[in-house]
Amino acid sequence: MLRVEAQTRLGALALDVALDVQPGECLALAGPSGAGKTSVLRVAAGLLRPERGLVEAGGETWLDTTRGVDVPPERRRCGYVFQEYALFPHLTAWQNVAYPLRGVPRRQRRERALGLLERFGMRELADARPRTLSGGERQRVALARVLAREPGVLLLDEPLSALDARTRAGAARELASVLRQVETPALLVTHDFAEAAQLGDRVGVIDSGRVIQEGTPSELAAAPRSAFVADFTGAVVLTGVARSGPNGLTHVELDGGGAVTSTDRGDGPVAVSVYPWEIAIEPAAAARPPGSTQNHVSAEVLSVTRIGNRVRLGLRGPQPLAAEITGVSADQLGLRAGAQVIASWKASATRLVAI
Amino acid sequence: MLLLLLAGCGGDDARLVVSAASSMAGALTACSGDFDAADVRLSFAGSDELAAQIRQGVKPDVYAAANTTLPDELNKEGLLSKPVEFATNELVIAVPKDSEIESVHDLAGDGVKLAIGSESVPIGSYTREVLARLPGPESDAILANVRSNEPDVKGIVGKLTQGAADAGLVYVTDVNAAGDKLRAVELPAELEPDVTYAAGVVKGAKQPDEARDFVDGLSDGACADALAEAGFGAP
Amino acid sequence: MRPFPVLLALALATALSFLTLPVVAIFVDSSPAELIDSLGEPGALDALWLSLRTTAMALAIILLVGTPAAYLLATRSFRGKALVVTLVELPLVLPPAVAGIALLAAVGPSGILGGAVDAAGIELTLQTAGVVVALTFVASPFYIRQAMAAFAAVDRTLLDASRTLGASEARGFRRVMIPAALPGLAAGTALALGRALGEFGATLMFAGSFQGITQTVPLAIYDRFSTNFDSALALSAVLVGISAAILVSVKLVQGSEALGGAPG
Repeated sequence: MLRVEAQTRLGALALDVALDVQPGECLALAGPSGAGKTSVLRVAAGLLRPERGLVEAGGETWLDTTRGVDVPPERRRCGYVFQEYALFPHLTAWQNVAYPLRGVPRRQRRERALGLLERFGMRELADARPRTLSGGERQRVALARVLAREPGVLLLDEPLSALDARTRAGAARELASVLRQVETPALLVTHDFAEAAQLGDRVGVIDSGRVIQEGTPSELAAAPRSAFVADFTGAVVLTGVARSGPNGLTHVELDGGGAVTSTDRGDGPVAVSVYPWEIAIEPAAAARPPGSTQNHVSAEVLSVTRIGNRVRLGLRGPQPLAAEITGVSADQLGLRAGAQVIASWKASATRLVAI
Repeated sequence: MLLLLLAGCGGDDARLVVSAASSMAGALTACSGDFDAADVRLSFAGSDELAAQIRQGVKPDVYAAANTTLPDELNKEGLLSKPVEFATNELVIAVPKDSEIESVHDLAGDGVKLAIGSESVPIGSYTREVLARLPGPESDAILANVRSNEPDVKGIVGKLTQGAADAGLVYVTDVNAAGDKLRAVELPAELEPDVTYAAGVVKGAKQPDEARDFVDGLSDGACADALAEAGFGAP
Repeated sequence: MRPFPVLLALALATALSFLTLPVVAIFVDSSPAELIDSLGEPGALDALWLSLRTTAMALAIILLVGTPAAYLLATRSFRGKALVVTLVELPLVLPPAVAGIALLAAVGPSGILGGAVDAAGIELTLQTAGVVVALTFVASPFYIRQAMAAFAAVDRTLLDASRTLGASEARGFRRVMIPAALPGLAAGTALALGRALGEFGATLMFAGSFQGITQTVPLAIYDRFSTNFDSALALSAVLVGISAAILVSVKLVQGSEALGGAPG
């Protein structure tokens, strides 16, 4: 279990956070640049000492400013994955992974390092220098290296941002899988909410040094506490089970009931995402328009939030949903909390990501 | 010095370049302003270094050395006019003011640190002449006490004034020039070498007439007076 | 032909001739046989051995003390840092003669610390130790400057990573910083080496010139050139050879880093 509390000034920013991460859980802090996300990680790792703060991990107190306790980074069992991976350029991949293995005889160090690389499918590249590896390969070496430390806490700084778009999808899947397998609490920061939603069990939206809202990705998207959160969270994320259907479409049974169709390929458990502004809202009583390429979900309006000339609707269906429509439409429909509506969107606007 | 020669001519006065042994630095600097015929540019170094430069083709107008050997050699090689002997000097032992060294025999003592001239420079060869006139064991003992073979007298004097060396063999004019920092211990007459300074006009000099005048002036003129004042003897 | 490229080529040709001709002349003026013979003359080998010994000792001191000092200056800020850096770099711009005077004034027998040095039983002037002191003084800024730049250029997150992976700051310095900064450190070492090997003025004034004790190669060359030019040439040729070897080694170290080196 990881607890991080920090209150400190960083230039013009006033950081004030208090977070808990349970064992086996991944808390993703998502926010724009300059929000203070990386500083939270650095406080947890001992690379930044806040004016007031507390860091407790696995029963040990790593930082307690009230009692003058400040364990140096090298004695905190953290696994910190840096944004650009910080692989040592003069060491090969396996030597990088073996770096945290102190006091272990050389033969065993190499074997253990190779074992970890094997787990990430990197064994053949064990003798390569980082500069010859691709972004995705470097990320895997960085992960292997961090796991070699047998850390009590995992800290990840924008783990996917250094990758190109094509590599990112695969890397995200791998990382999500690794995070699920390890029992340690993981704290991850990113500027991309979709990434946070995919990798984190819970997401905290952070801006200007404070966590504005914390919850599951769906909760945040469905019931944003402020315009900022609403704007930041972007897509709605649903879960379900997919199988191939007729006409090249994929049929997804949503958890909790209901079904949608997608033009994406998918098979097995998937996360379904659609952007709120691609969802159309009509009163439940209206006649259903025909067309099998439209997804329909019945829902009840939970919240109506105005953002400029748009309105974000928090909806409760079999799973939480959010829709964004123009202020004019919202007025015309006379929407209030409790109203019953039908949320519709195109199969082509439905993205699937295997989980 | 090379740069001096490379520099363009400036001013109305002709420029006269004089290469002279370091031991004459004080005296010649004082008197060169009085030379009317030309603007004198002085360059001081060990006589051997200056001779080597002339052999390599450097052409000062006047060459004045601390011995007769080097000017004679250059004359034989056709690089210098027939040398004129213009002054003599005396070799002495220079010691710090408060030194306990009273004679040349004290130089052989245990732990005495000596600075002398290197073999190729006149002061060095004179020094070795002196040592050669001493009995073998004493000469060896003195040589064993040598801690530095300096390229010119300035270096020897420097070691003494800094307190790095206990004694050194230099010209009496150098001790005079050092003011009251150093004291001279005379050498017995039988050890004293014949230190004669000679000068000549360099072949191919730019100002041969003024050069001749300057050389003459070393024997009889403002510079002759300055040399005498510094402690140089008549030839 | 267009005028500007021609001018550039002309400038290069001039610079090249000016720089290479004196060096080439060293080897051409006498035959190799004569040069090798002169090396056998008394004093020549002594001078070479002395130069190598004193330069090695000076370099050892410079690397040992200069590396952590440069690291501190490169990675930490503190009040008055700019002043400290200027002071460290000062000997760089001091003419060698001034360096000689400075050393005499500081640790010479009549210098400020002269009494303390004497009381400690250390002899510097007229001794090999004095040569080492002079070489260290003039050559260290060359190394420290390069080392500072090299350390400053290393990605700071590498050190952070090292610490989070369980290595103390000292271990991180040894196993991450130094290897990462190695090309720059090698270049600095080469510069300092070259400067130390060629040092003349400060050595002569501070330590004197005596075969086998204080007469390094440059002093030996100066001692001989008027009476034994061949010997001076031979010694110069050896120094040129050593300097060239140093330059090549540095290039090799830098080159191997750039190419990623051999695996394992």
